[in-house]
Amino acid sequence: MNRQELQTIITAETAINIYNKYKHKLCVCCGAGCISSGAEDVLKKLEEEIKTRGLENEVEVIATGCMGPCNQGPLIKYLPDHTIYQKVDCSNIKAIVQSQLIEKKPIEDLLLFADSRPKPFIDAREDPYFKKQMKIALKDCGHINPEKIEDYLANDGYQAFDKVLFQMSPEDVIAEIKQSRLRGRGGAGYPTGLKWETVYKYVSKQKYVICNGDEGDPGAFMDRSVLEGNPHRVLEGMCIAAYAVGANKGYVYIRGEYPLAIKRIELAIKQAKKLGLLGTNILGTDFSFDVEVRIGAGAFVCGEETALIASIEGKRGTPKPRPPFPAESGLWGKPTLINNVETFASIVPVINNGGEWYSEIGTPKSAGTKIFALAGKINYSGLIEVPMGTTLREIVFDIGGGIQGGGEFKAAQTGGPSGGCIPAEHLDVKMDYESLISLGSIMGSGGLIVMDKSSDMVDVARYFMEFCMDESCGKCVPCRVGTKMMHDLLQKICNDKGTTIDLERLEELAVYVKECSLCGLGASAPNPLLSTLRHFRNEYENRITE
Amino acid sequence: MSKKKIATVWLGGCSGCHMSILDIDERILEVAKLADIVKCPIVDGKELPEVDIVLVEGSVTSDEHLREIHHIRKQAKALVALGDCAVTSNITGMRNYFELEDVFEAAYVKAVSNDKKGSVPNHPELLKLRDKVVPLQEVVKVDFVIPGCPPDADTIFYVLFEFLNDRVPNLSEVKKLKYG
Amino acid sequence: MPKIAVTIDDKKLDVDAGKTILEICRENGIEILTMCHLKGLTDVGACRLCLVEIEGINKLLSACTTKIAANMVIKTQTEKIKRYQNITCELFYAERNHVCSVCVANGKCDLQKLGYKTEMDHIRYPYLFPQCNVDTSHAWYVLDHNRCIMCTRCVRVCAEVEGAHNWNVMNRGNKVRIISDFDTPWGESETCTSCGKCVHACPTGAIWPKAIVQGQLEKKPEMITELIEKRKMNL
Repeated sequence: MNRQELQTIITAETAINIYNKYKHKLCVCCGAGCISSGAEDVLKKLEEEIKTRGLENEVEVIATGCMGPCNQGPLIKYLPDHTIYQKVDCSNIKAIVQSQLIEKKPIEDLLLFADSRPKPFIDAREDPYFKKQMKIALKDCGHINPEKIEDYLANDGYQAFDKVLFQMSPEDVIAEIKQSRLRGRGGAGYPTGLKWETVYKYVSKQKYVICNGDEGDPGAFMDRSVLEGNPHRVLEGMCIAAYAVGANKGYVYIRGEYPLAIKRIELAIKQAKKLGLLGTNILGTDFSFDVEVRIGAGAFVCGEETALIASIEGKRGTPKPRPPFPAESGLWGKPTLINNVETFASIVPVINNGGEWYSEIGTPKSAGTKIFALAGKINYSGLIEVPMGTTLREIVFDIGGGIQGGGEFKAAQTGGPSGGCIPAEHLDVKMDYESLISLGSIMGSGGLIVMDKSSDMVDVARYFMEFCMDESCGKCVPCRVGTKMMHDLLQKICNDKGTTIDLERLEELAVYVKECSLCGLGASAPNPLLSTLRHFRNEYENRITE
Repeated sequence: MSKKKIATVWLGGCSGCHMSILDIDERILEVAKLADIVKCPIVDGKELPEVDIVLVEGSVTSDEHLREIHHIRKQAKALVALGDCAVTSNITGMRNYFELEDVFEAAYVKAVSNDKKGSVPNHPELLKLRDKVVPLQEVVKVDFVIPGCPPDADTIFYVLFEFLNDRVPNLSEVKKLKYG
Repeated sequence: MPKIAVTIDDKKLDVDAGKTILEICRENGIEILTMCHLKGLTDVGACRLCLVEIEGINKLLSACTTKIAANMVIKTQTEKIKRYQNITCELFYAERNHVCSVCVANGKCDLQKLGYKTEMDHIRYPYLFPQCNVDTSHAWYVLDHNRCIMCTRCVRVCAEVEGAHNWNVMNRGNKVRIISDFDTPWGESETCTSCGKCVHACPTGAIWPKAIVQGQLEKKPEMITELIEKRKMNL
């Protein structure tokens, strides 16, 4: 397909959208969370109901990706009013259709947060849960059908790619990304533009772009939701990246535990290939790019870039010492760009709206927005996207609705097993890369687990250490043996058998493992231990016997 | 100056370390000038009095050993772990890879023996083995260690002689570190 | 080969570009402890004993895998590095079941030598005492997992020098084990050529020939290095 043909399709699809073929839309959230609470039955029932009432030409029923408030699912959103119904089951469908579509008035009892707010909002966007958020990476997630490329095209899909291909040189693209000050969303926060530039500068006929979707932190589901909710956005980000760095082959590496995300990204690739948005001579240019999916086999360490590369190569997923970095010698020894799912999802808005626009969102050092997966003892858990620099208090209390059962906030764990705990006295910390590091935690990929007074912090540290111990690849000594030793010592303290010497050994080992480990898994494995020791030392000391 | 008091104790070990003590031969006379050996498997002393230095061979394998090592710690100014068993549990620790039950089973029931019936001895006066063998430092504070299986007589003499002259020995400095 | 100026332990040196820090240090008589390195085989940076401090880099890098660069200021003997080497050595001993007194490699073992060099007289951490098998199925050799330190020198020598790919690694974390083929007994391996290179590559008493007893093991890892170098020269 050439550019003209694509534009024709886009115009036609947009027209359907703008001139409102359908006056009403009912979006059923079909993210993995809502599906597990019965969204598929709800969707089927809703479609039947619309058909029975003969409304199929007026009302479009869309199966969408994640809308956010996962523990309130299944969710149905009515557009154009943005009215969201929560905890819908098949018995509510008739009433919703009757009331919302025929009588034109919403059912108050079923509105989002109706059971916990004094007065729920008819336009859900007014609710503090959404009001404090800013959806950039997740913009279309929740009202387009992730399984239809037409839906994506109608929402300015692949326009950024088109702009890049026909109006920008690779240098321009890199300059734009650098200007946006976007940083890697996988955890470490390396400047994305700088990474792209490094790969671009290495001369090689063959380069690769890899999308890291091996999200393994307990309690984190940002990447899964993005891939499930809007796979084309990620794909378009990869295409732009490939054009910028000069790559002609891409891999999306997704963990095998995400079957729906795998299905949707594979479908997206197929659709994009069919429209000539992937393949050789894309849109008549001499740029060629192809993408394949690789499925991870359940090893947490394969989220580490060098281990992930080894896994794609068909080898045992163990990390390699860096340098050399993948930008110089990555997949099959070729220069390789590897970014996280969320990073790729943030590329399109940067290109569409300009780097300057993006750089003004968030804080001076951490630009843009970040997706968090809220979990734990919080009232409204789910997927949120906030500007960098939003305080933890705003996230937990304004968006998350506070602690379950009116309990007291004790700590929040960011960055999963590689991160640390933030205690109540630091609730006003700005959520950005530097602030979190200064508290001994990390931004990580975006898992945010909230704990109340019932949580035992020594046990929390022990849990995460157990996770790291099991997930260590076993290659280097500090991580392989050190995590096991630390876990055993933590277990001993949990059993009230620890001594002062054990605590000393623990601290010594923690610093040793952090500094000596080969890869990021080992280097960050002691973080939960170190941060709980820093903020909750008394809990350790109370359990120690002489 | 009053003479110092030395004792040596034999816990869960093969007595090889004590053989090595004997191998210091005539140098025992130099030790005797500076100290009295008040308790030792080859000296008839029932109780352990307060001592300046105690050399402990072997690891803690039974409840009796545990009681004894705590008592030793109380009585001794300096506790020296003598030999690999005391330092790392060594050969005595090789049963730690198995469950205690299986160890008994292997030793008394499955072993080729004249006793066709083979049963695990179970008399109240027998030592009660602990689930796992541990080196001394896991249960008490150890002041000095002499690894080796067994440690050389030279090494033992060197350590004793330094201690008796109120100096702290350094095995690594005199190249006397040896395992196995 | 072009020369570059570097500083190692306060000594200014003109050294060959393109070599690793470890190679340069060994050529200049600067001692760096290693376990997983065997000259000639691909370096993996697994034992973490050769970590060095480099000015301007905020983390420790393994000397065996890091290429030397012009104007690098390297420190190999700082208090911190020595402390970490001590811990690594202790963890090696505590991890599996190293009983020197019954080992074929007693007195000739690299792990023992490492202990003496780091002046380790006891191990502060509790022994883990994992259950490990001893594979005696091969006609001539034995693989004793109790004494394995997972340096993977056997894996690499088998793949890179012999080309047989008999050895591999299975499992994760502290449950990792060296395996023959797809975890079949060594004696039933379809790939093993019984060349014995792994016996010489192994730094401890984990792989040894059957015909010997305690303390008799003679290993010649330098033979492997020589073989690799002669092959490179096409001799």
